[in-house]
Amino acid sequence: MGMEIMFLNQNNPKTNKMRFLLTVFKGCIVLLLPVLSFAQNRTVTGVVSGSGNVPLSGATITVQNSPIAAIADVNGRFSISVPQDATLVISYLGYKTQTLQANPGEMTIQLEEDAGRLDEVVVTGLATSVKRRNLTNAVVTINAQQFNGISRAQTFDGALNGKVPGAYINSNNGAPGGGSSVKLRGVTSIYGNTQPLYVIDGVFLNNSATSSGINTVTLAQPGVRSSNQDNASNRIADLRPEDIETIEILKGASASAIYGSKAAAGVILITTKRGAQGKTVVSFSQDLGFVKARKLLGVRKFTAESAASLSQDPMQSERLRQQFLDAEAAGKIYDYEKEMYGNTGFTTNSVISVSGGNDKTSLFFSAGNREEEGIIKKTGYANKSIRLNLDHRINDNIKLSFSSNYIYSSADRGLTGNDNAGVTYGIAMSSTPGFAELHPDENGVYPRNNFANSNFLETRDKVINNELVNRFITGMNLDAYLLRSRRSYTKLVARAGFDFYNLKTDAQFPSFLQFQAVNKGTSIQGFTKNLNTNYILALVNNFQPSDKLSLTTSGGITQETGNFDNLLNVATQVIIGQSNVDQAGALTATQFRTKNQDNGIFIQEEAMLMDAISINAGIRFDRSSNNGDPSKFYAYPKAGVAWNLTRSGVLGDDIFQNLKLRLAYGQAGNFPAYGSKFTSLNVSNIEGLPGSVVSTQRGQAGIKPEKQTEIEGGFDFSILDGKLNFDFTIYSKKVFDFLILNSSPASTGFATQWLNAGDLRNRGIEIGLQAIPYSGKDIKWNTSVNFWMNRSKVTKLTVPPIQLGALAGVLIGTFQIEEGKSATQIIGLTDEPGFMPPIKVWGDQEPKFQMSSFNEVTYKNKLSLRLLLHWKKGGYNANLTNLQSDFGMTSPDWDADANANHIPDGLDRIMKIGSSAVTSIVNSGYFRVREIGLYYTIDNVPVNFIKGISIGASLNNFITITDYPSYDPEVSNFGAGFSSGIDAIPYPASKRAAVHLNVTF
Amino acid sequence: MTTNHKIFFLVFMLVTAVVTGCKKDYGNLNSPTEEDFLKNPTKDQLNNLVTGVESAMRNNIGLYLDDVGVIGREMYRFSTGDPRYTTDLLGASDAHLDPTGFYLTNTWASRYRVVKNCNLLINASAISTFVSDAEAKGYAGFAKTMMAYQLLLNLNLTYNNGIRTEVANPDQPGPIENYDEALASIATLLDEANGDLSGAQVAFPLTSGFAGFNDAGGLSKVNRGIAARVAIYREQWQQALDALQASFFDLNGDFSTGVYHVFGTGSGDQLNPAFFPRNQAGDVRLAHPSYADDIENGDDRSSKAALRSEPQSYQGLSSNHDVWVYTTSTAPVPLVRNEELILIYAEANIQLENLSEGEDALNVIRNAHNLADYSGAGTKPALLTEMLNQRRFSLFDEGHRWVDVRRYGLLADLPVDRPDDDVWEQFPVPATEQ
Repeated sequence: MGMEIMFLNQNNPKTNKMRFLLTVFKGCIVLLLPVLSFAQNRTVTGVVSGSGNVPLSGATITVQNSPIAAIADVNGRFSISVPQDATLVISYLGYKTQTLQANPGEMTIQLEEDAGRLDEVVVTGLATSVKRRNLTNAVVTINAQQFNGISRAQTFDGALNGKVPGAYINSNNGAPGGGSSVKLRGVTSIYGNTQPLYVIDGVFLNNSATSSGINTVTLAQPGVRSSNQDNASNRIADLRPEDIETIEILKGASASAIYGSKAAAGVILITTKRGAQGKTVVSFSQDLGFVKARKLLGVRKFTAESAASLSQDPMQSERLRQQFLDAEAAGKIYDYEKEMYGNTGFTTNSVISVSGGNDKTSLFFSAGNREEEGIIKKTGYANKSIRLNLDHRINDNIKLSFSSNYIYSSADRGLTGNDNAGVTYGIAMSSTPGFAELHPDENGVYPRNNFANSNFLETRDKVINNELVNRFITGMNLDAYLLRSRRSYTKLVARAGFDFYNLKTDAQFPSFLQFQAVNKGTSIQGFTKNLNTNYILALVNNFQPSDKLSLTTSGGITQETGNFDNLLNVATQVIIGQSNVDQAGALTATQFRTKNQDNGIFIQEEAMLMDAISINAGIRFDRSSNNGDPSKFYAYPKAGVAWNLTRSGVLGDDIFQNLKLRLAYGQAGNFPAYGSKFTSLNVSNIEGLPGSVVSTQRGQAGIKPEKQTEIEGGFDFSILDGKLNFDFTIYSKKVFDFLILNSSPASTGFATQWLNAGDLRNRGIEIGLQAIPYSGKDIKWNTSVNFWMNRSKVTKLTVPPIQLGALAGVLIGTFQIEEGKSATQIIGLTDEPGFMPPIKVWGDQEPKFQMSSFNEVTYKNKLSLRLLLHWKKGGYNANLTNLQSDFGMTSPDWDADANANHIPDGLDRIMKIGSSAVTSIVNSGYFRVREIGLYYTIDNVPVNFIKGISIGASLNNFITITDYPSYDPEVSNFGAGFSSGIDAIPYPASKRAAVHLNVTF
Repeated sequence: MTTNHKIFFLVFMLVTAVVTGCKKDYGNLNSPTEEDFLKNPTKDQLNNLVTGVESAMRNNIGLYLDDVGVIGREMYRFSTGDPRYTTDLLGASDAHLDPTGFYLTNTWASRYRVVKNCNLLINASAISTFVSDAEAKGYAGFAKTMMAYQLLLNLNLTYNNGIRTEVANPDQPGPIENYDEALASIATLLDEANGDLSGAQVAFPLTSGFAGFNDAGGLSKVNRGIAARVAIYREQWQQALDALQASFFDLNGDFSTGVYHVFGTGSGDQLNPAFFPRNQAGDVRLAHPSYADDIENGDDRSSKAALRSEPQSYQGLSSNHDVWVYTTSTAPVPLVRNEELILIYAEANIQLENLSEGEDALNVIRNAHNLADYSGAGTKPALLTEMLNQRRFSLFDEGHRWVDVRRYGLLADLPVDRPDDDVWEQFPVPATEQ
């Protein structure tokens, strides 16, 4: 087929330019000319309903092997213009798909329920898809209702939590605007990218987190201007959940290999809503709600004695006693934690959407506005978004689709997290007793905090830390049938898109703040411009030599580029009231750029025998400008087979239906980070002289991408006529040549060096159960239960064990990459006998297992109760938060004496530090009622221009059962990389409640 | 055109696009690379390395002064963000100095980073065709002198645990040398540098921190000043005096004459990290209470510990004096200055039994600080005690006290504030070196 030609021609000598242009010209003509004659069209109408003759509003009616489609309206009615002899495919989520000949008269179509959603179409290649029943992999699909229809999560990625078996999703903290880590099937990389590739309507998204440079003030990582501890949000949070139709998750290389060297951490394919032929539907929805801190830790209740004991100096001690007594007499003992974190934030979210179209053109438009206050005053989040999705059929064979999205988001993040300057809210609070007076006087002057480096009330009220994003995401898609016969069709798929954003970070610390005594006002203004582009050109050929065999061949080329440019200006000695960096006595600018171009070639063959055995194989070749050798292509093959025993007749279908065995294998890669091949010289100036100083990071000229292989096997079956569906998957995912930033002996001048240093593997099990336990006349209960677990092991390490992700090394707890051990083990000091050196493994970040359950109970198809439960068993965090208030002698249980040794527990815990990490490495397991929603739909509205009203109420993160001592077991001070689960005085997590109104016109 | 032709042309178009799309290699967009400096560097490039050396010597210098000052009981460093200044450095209960602790690794790595830059400067200046032999010797002499000084600071931390001095090849760094071997290597390096500087020409700019010393002769005097310090560490008293004679030592000169790390607010520049404003809370540098207790009445050096408006306490430690040596955010930090050289002169003379010469030198110090002549016993041990005492107050917060009491085996005499605290003799070698 086409691919043979392609490879024959690949080594052609360079064609001369004229000939090339001629070829392009001819090619364009081929694209634009109607290849096949137009068929005479006619209009078909009908009604689609489910069990009990309930109309299936939103059912999709498509013409087989063509881009023509329509959607059923509120009453299940549809009208579609089709060619003669058209075959219609009617599908609706949760129902079995029907294929039937289009009839001239009114068609009445009734669909059967399908708990396992086996007829759902799943994208398996860059340009091809298959039905779920024929998949060779376990691919998770999340629909709009599960994703955003229970309650409103804080962020886009947060809304995935508990819904993806095989995923470990963790919010970094509760700051407005989010920041989350999504890890699929365990450890993908240690220093490389651990986050999946997000693709929305064919556009590769940028999900980076850009630091605002507040490290200059917090000194969380001394000596640098920006750090991964700067609590930046990741850019996937910009997306609006309301626009999403489905999300597919390719968890490992066996499913994602066709995405090559960007796919090692998995791929998340997002499809947004599109218009279809039918009446125009206008819908408006409004949410109103609030956020509150999920948990507060409490503060120490001081007495005159304990106040006095804060100092060993007799005079100071006496002064503290008096200060306490005075404060007590004046009734001015404060609970500063409540004052800082106890705000009830108001949230509002409005979306208007328009959807509709005729036989040629359809559109989906949405505009949304979301505003949220945080649980800390002066923090909050705003997101405004406009989306326009257009589809146009040029003729029966060529369809053009266009998706565009403009997003504005603004997050006021506050000043939280780790800090070595004593300036963030939590750190300053940890050493400030409740009898200190920090409130402003009548002139608005805040007193100095004598117990810390910052009056955190003043810091909260006067500091700005904002991230502002303007973003365009645009994609174009061309589907053109070049050839079509009864047994074969050939299709060109061309897809291109870009993701562009401007990010402005604005951090301002006025000179009157307590901790600005040296810098006399700091303004950090960051400007980031990022452009990602990608295209795919592919040819797809489907050939059905007989009814029992179908062959789909696809192949093509891809290109992805990235261009990131960040300018960070740090101005100090800033004139009061000014933020412009020129209104300052000193200015230091840093610019950081990255640029990459990656090219790929792929080919894939999918065969289907007797609609029961599906076999696929493919390979992708990738090169990248980030590799040591930018011209070298790396190959990523894949193959899979699935055998449906019942459909192929090996087993009868009286007990089991659709009993399928499947096995898949694939490889994927992870490019090295930009610049890892260079040994750079940093700038270091003195008295206006420009200085060059060798970077502490040594480059590695021959750096290679990490390579991952994954083998996955499993079986699925349904029983009770599709009312119960079960799937079981086991996988082994191996990562070869994983990259580490190895510590070199610092005496060489280099602290770190990039190395391809070892291998690791993940093994895991995923079990899913989807069922309709009850389906009566009025009441229906849908449920799904998932169980998943993963274990990792470092199988080879060519360097000595490496500690990373540490706040204070083994003192508090640190990850240690060590041959033969779990990649996510957490080690720390121990005073138990028998350990030399006195260090032991205290735990593992990896949970023992996770389980989740989604349930929906509907009454008369009108009232719907939706519930998402999530249980994470085990898993450990390194927690500094509680210890920090011990160090500051303000922890709520400081004075308790649980072990009856007549020493305050707070002191007991401090005394343990330096000899044992027992108090800081803690179990972070939880059981969480993640989401609850109750919705009522009114469809017989007396006003005839309103087609339907839905009202609802929801709770998010409201109930959590956990022994975890700090604010929330979901936390990561170091952002979304490998080292999540570090708890260092975060922005506390929140719980959310909202009421919802949706009106359809 | 048959349909097969159409497909052929389409595929051909795609393939052509791939084959003609040339590979991309963007290079380093953000900064020069090491290779750039090893391809016949220009004078400007070499000068950038010189400035890099001078600038990077300041990295973590505040942390170094904290380390040496806290262990030497010159000061407390309270930090609400990091308790290890008051646990590990003071040996609170079971806490010990951690070979991965930031207080060691950060400052250690910063010094060796400068060493790396010095080595690159030596290599680059040797192959450059844009500089004369005399100019090349100038670069080498400066690089080796600064390298020796940086090595000495790290050796002050690890003492008997030693340091590496041969680190030019990052793939095969030399062995860890013990204290005596390392000191000998440093002395040799200084001598080599001094040899380079004779007949050298300085073709590079230095900052005001080197004012008066920014030519070959001046750099040689600085080199000998550092050599004198190394000599007394090696207890080579006569060599110390010889080195002093070739240095900028001046018994009657200004105490502050010397070379300094300078700070500024310019782009890419640094502020003095050892400057903390007075009367701060939370993160503070406090003078150890013994400083104010032990200083003689009328000594003008008492101003180096400024009385606070209210005392600060943390983890069982308390003081009511701020360290007040660096009184602005751009106050310079000395590498070596005349006051130290006078004290070295006194020490070497006392050790060589020239007791009256030594006592006179001590009186130069005393008188300049508003104190009357020394009136204690004129014996060698008594004069040595007085010498250490004057060093303590003259060189407060300049990184000497801990090293001095260690040299004289007096660590046990340092005050211990909490019953379980330890006075450390030395840091372990960082974990990455082992």
